[in-house]
Amino acid sequence: MDINVKSLNKVYGNKAVVNIDTLTLRKGKIYGIIGPNGAGKSTLLRIMAGLEDATAGRMFYNESLLNDRILRNVTYMDQRPYLLRTSVFNNIAYPLKIRKYDKKTIENKTREIMREFKIGDLSSQLATSLSGGESQKVALARALVFEPQLLFLDEPTANIDPNSIELIEKVILKRNREKGMTPIIITHNMAQAKRLCDEVIFMDEGKIIEFGESKQVILDPQKESTRKFLSIYAM
Amino acid sequence: MEHIIDGFIEGIKLLLSFEGEVYSIIILSLYVSLTSTLISSLIGIPLGIFLGLKKFRFKRLLTRFLYTFMSLPPVVVGLTVAVIISRRGPLGHLRLLFTPGAMIIAQTLLVTPIITGIIFNNSKEQGEVIRQICKTLGGNRLDTLMLLIKEMRINILIGVVTGFGRAISEVGAVMIVGGNIKGHTRVMTSFIAMNNSMGNYSTSIAMGLVLLAISFMTNSILYKYIVGD
Ligand SMILES: Nc1ncnc2c1ncn2[C@@H]1O[C@H](COP(=O)(O)OP(=O)(O)O)[C@@H](O)[C@H]1O
Ligand SMILES: [Mg+2]
Repeated sequence: MDINVKSLNKVYGNKAVVNIDTLTLRKGKIYGIIGPNGAGKSTLLRIMAGLEDATAGRMFYNESLLNDRILRNVTYMDQRPYLLRTSVFNNIAYPLKIRKYDKKTIENKTREIMREFKIGDLSSQLATSLSGGESQKVALARALVFEPQLLFLDEPTANIDPNSIELIEKVILKRNREKGMTPIIITHNMAQAKRLCDEVIFMDEGKIIEFGESKQVILDPQKESTRKFLSIYAM
Repeated sequence: MEHIIDGFIEGIKLLLSFEGEVYSIIILSLYVSLTSTLISSLIGIPLGIFLGLKKFRFKRLLTRFLYTFMSLPPVVVGLTVAVIISRRGPLGHLRLLFTPGAMIIAQTLLVTPIITGIIFNNSKEQGEVIRQICKTLGGNRLDTLMLLIKEMRINILIGVVTGFGRAISEVGAVMIVGGNIKGHTRVMTSFIAMNNSMGNYSTSIAMGLVLLAISFMTNSILYKYIVGD
């Protein structure tokens, strides 16, 4: 799904935390959003995911405004995802249950994605008792099991182990290349942005400062503030 | 000290004697408190969830009121109900004073704010998170409500059990609106109070033990049923 953002504004009190003229995201690419804390990355992501209202502006998803049908094909995952107080299996099966799939299909799809994430042995464990990396994998499996077209991720791999990071990146990449899913990922990991994302958006003070091919933005930024931000991560 | 131990022994003997009056008192207590807890749950659970989720102007004020009502003194509730249903009161024609019905009304008034308050608090905290999770996974409003109830099941259990505990153990309200009439409105707590004031410590202790055992059992059963998956 393409996204077209026009004159988007979000104001808290009298502070504009997001202020974007235009932004176009194309189906099938992987996008990264980078920038300092408080830049408005999360707010932008949550607005695009339909979780928060903008103060002003419009967004088009394949030419139409956000509606229930589109929302059913969009998902969002927080840095600290909330898992339901039930088994890992039931967590992952939940989106399929509310979509009224039959039992057999639910069972198969859930087992399949658990295999993909290598969490099959956690199936009957209580989801709220998992470690950070495991929780993240379960939450992502739950978000992907219904094959959304848009995937919004807010720092999905912050504070988790390298093996889990590698696995998560692999799954995201596979879904993108094989099914045309469009991930939009906030990350503080520049190496990850470079390796996983096709294009990167650098945000500062609510604005998009620089937007282009990921290697180009990260290795050869054009704007002063991008350069300054990246120099902290260059070490 | 000695007479406390004697009381215990006497109490257990009394219980094992299977005296008819003791058991009809226990059954009436359970009937009155379970009924009022059921009514309170039917009101308090949906109301608490609704208030917790809804955004409105006087939410903070409401919270304060709810907390006040959660700790209403049973005697005050009893008095209020008694005034309303006494023969010259607005509902006097129903002739409810000194009946189990009056006791149910009083306990329902006592317990409903407790259940509502506990559910309200949890739904206020968890509601927004669940709403978001449900939305991001493609759920509609009904899905959200169902999921919230499911996620809150332990809190709902705590609310109901707390409410029942309050109902079965209070004495002020049932005493005033029920009158502790033998064979009609005498419940465990009013029985204990009466025997205590008459110096029958062993009888009081016996009934106190039953009260404890009942609380323990209801908690265990409900806990197993809801948390035991
Ligand atoms: N609910 C809110 N109320 C008031 N201010 C907020 C709220 N959410 C975010 N902000 C402010 O908006 C700005 C951007 O926040 P955020 O989008 O979380 O930034 P980032 O994700 O880039 O760190 C911050 O200054 C933050 O304090
Ligand atoms: Mg953020």
